[in-house]
Amino acid sequence: MSYTLRGRLESRFFATLVVLVGACAVAAALPAFWPIELVALMLTVGIVLDMLLYSAIDYQPGWYAVPEGLLEFALTMGAVRVLGIDPPLGAAVAVFAGAWLATQALAQAGFPLLSISYAENGGELGRAGVVAGIASLAVLAGAGGFAWAKQPPTVHLSAGIHQGPLVITRRETLVGDRGAIVRGGIVIRANHVTVRNVAVLGGQNGFDVENVRDVVLDHVSVVGATLDGIHVRLAQVMVKGCTVASPAGYTQGIDISFAMGMGESMVEGCTISGGQEGIVTHSASVTVMGNRVSATSLRGIAMTEMSMGMIEQNQVTGSQGIGILCVDQSECMISRNQVSGTRSNPTSADLGQRGYGIESTFLSAAELSRNELYGNAHGIGTFSGGTVSGG
Amino acid sequence: MRSESDGHCYPTSFPGLAVRAAGKGDVGALFATVSNRYRPTVDEFLEHVEQLGEHTGWNDRVRLGWVDRVRSTEGGFAVDEHGVYQHVLLAPGPPGLAIPDELAADSRAVHAYQPHEFAERVAIVGAGMAAATEWLNALAAGSTVVSVRRREPERRPLNVPRVMFSRRGLARFQTADPVARAAQLRQLLGPSYPPGRGWDEPLADAARDGRFTVAHEVNGEQQIVCATGFLQGFRHSPLLRRLVEEHDLPTHDRWIELDGDCTVPSLTDGSRTLALAGASAQWAYPAADTLVGAKYSARRFLRRVRSCPTP
Repeated sequence: MSYTLRGRLESRFFATLVVLVGACAVAAALPAFWPIELVALMLTVGIVLDMLLYSAIDYQPGWYAVPEGLLEFALTMGAVRVLGIDPPLGAAVAVFAGAWLATQALAQAGFPLLSISYAENGGELGRAGVVAGIASLAVLAGAGGFAWAKQPPTVHLSAGIHQGPLVITRRETLVGDRGAIVRGGIVIRANHVTVRNVAVLGGQNGFDVENVRDVVLDHVSVVGATLDGIHVRLAQVMVKGCTVASPAGYTQGIDISFAMGMGESMVEGCTISGGQEGIVTHSASVTVMGNRVSATSLRGIAMTEMSMGMIEQNQVTGSQGIGILCVDQSECMISRNQVSGTRSNPTSADLGQRGYGIESTFLSAAELSRNELYGNAHGIGTFSGGTVSGG
Repeated sequence: MRSESDGHCYPTSFPGLAVRAAGKGDVGALFATVSNRYRPTVDEFLEHVEQLGEHTGWNDRVRLGWVDRVRSTEGGFAVDEHGVYQHVLLAPGPPGLAIPDELAADSRAVHAYQPHEFAERVAIVGAGMAAATEWLNALAAGSTVVSVRRREPERRPLNVPRVMFSRRGLARFQTADPVARAAQLRQLLGPSYPPGRGWDEPLADAARDGRFTVAHEVNGEQQIVCATGFLQGFRHSPLLRRLVEEHDLPTHDRWIELDGDCTVPSLTDGSRTLALAGASAQWAYPAADTLVGAKYSARRFLRRVRSCPTP
């Protein structure tokens, strides 16, 4: 096929319109906007390539669609990453592949049936192509406007100390100005809440998140909470870049519990020091990745009570009792962590508290890979039917 | 036959012959066609034509008649004694076989398109697809071949470069001034045959054995095969020549000047259409003498008919 530039653009806009309808359906079903954002990026990448690269091709046999598709896929996914759209990879690949197949079906069969002179006209669709272009842009603009309207409002918390507890009961983004501190904790009781750059001082729990989904705690810090720094129950959260300093006593840095049916939570890039437990999960599906946990008095990181998840690339130092624990019928993938300086708990008669870097207890299954253990009282331990596999 | 999946007689380009072959179990045809390697056989093509003829009722719907003259008249065009028609598409076909003047009276000469055997030593005049086919046929028959040619052939998979089948290549061609356009046409319509080992290897083997040589003129061979195609140009067609003379149509070299949609500009307006198809439409579409070219003319003719009110 020998496309004119106009033919390429009209064909692309028309195919995109068809794909957009599918993407809107997927977006409504999820619900999420990334399918539409992905299609918009595909269209943008395609138009740029049409104008800068493909327009130089005088004739392209059918098989050119494969390398062109791979190039567009690579550039689209690169743009997805740069723009932080963050769709699920498998689903994004499926949407792209579906769109590519639909486009090929249209180019090879649909358009020639729709317009009998399609090939002779270099892919130009005439009035239908122009209408399709306008319609595609209109759908994208409409979807963008809808997405914009659905964005939660952003609330700025000014610098200084604000008396809490602060209770959030609607979807919103709370952004702390530099030096914004809430005394007494923040309670989150709404879905789609993001808290960014806010420090919490004291309170029973620094953050109390219950019965909600899609909560993001981004670069928050908690100092001096008397129970949990971040306390999550029956909820799905993304915690990234946080700092928690817990006082001595029965305190925990982050506790995510009873959330197995709420979707996967994630704790990434946090620094946690002090307290009995650094990061602990009960009956939850959680990824614990890239955190630094130090000076806990019972366990550094623990997955308990039938939890499932990955514990990956964390640094656990100076824990008393246990560095990383998989317990109570949990299934843990523990890989590429550094665990050091774990020492025995002198106040406990529990054999498992004798300073194990990694421990699997009570019918739990820990799959180990490339962990570095040094300076611990004991290396790897199993108790009460717990198992470890790998190295 | 220099044909691919699109070389069919259906009105729309999809589904082409490769898709139909796949439908009959030859899935490989689909993979072949995406890399332009699918070549329908003559038998497959004829079967397709026969089926399409039956499906459309072609034989019942086509009226055969002889036409010597088409002239402009009130309400359209008078087509001999057959009547006056508002829209006319002329596809007169080749006016005859082309044989070089100096060989016309030579008893050794035969045209490639006429039935013939091969002598022990044969000169084949021409360098296009017909000539290349004759080279291989003669070599296969055991003859020694002298290829008589005035210029080296292009190696092209199709009659003209692929880009010239679409608006991408046509846009510049159709807007060129007549002199440049005629020059480009002469270059495009020069001799060519497809690239590929199927052509090259037998010729190279024969050349090594001294059975295939190239010469600029005939030199005493026992037999001369004129692979020189058809007579070219409107002047060889009585119908077209009279049309030009009676209506004083503008021409350039051997071509009648046409609009991009294959219509004769001075005889086409909002109420009537006179269009050409086949080789005589090359001024509008260089590959007009192919199946794709025939459809190019026909589709544009159809568009004019549809947009033109019937009185």
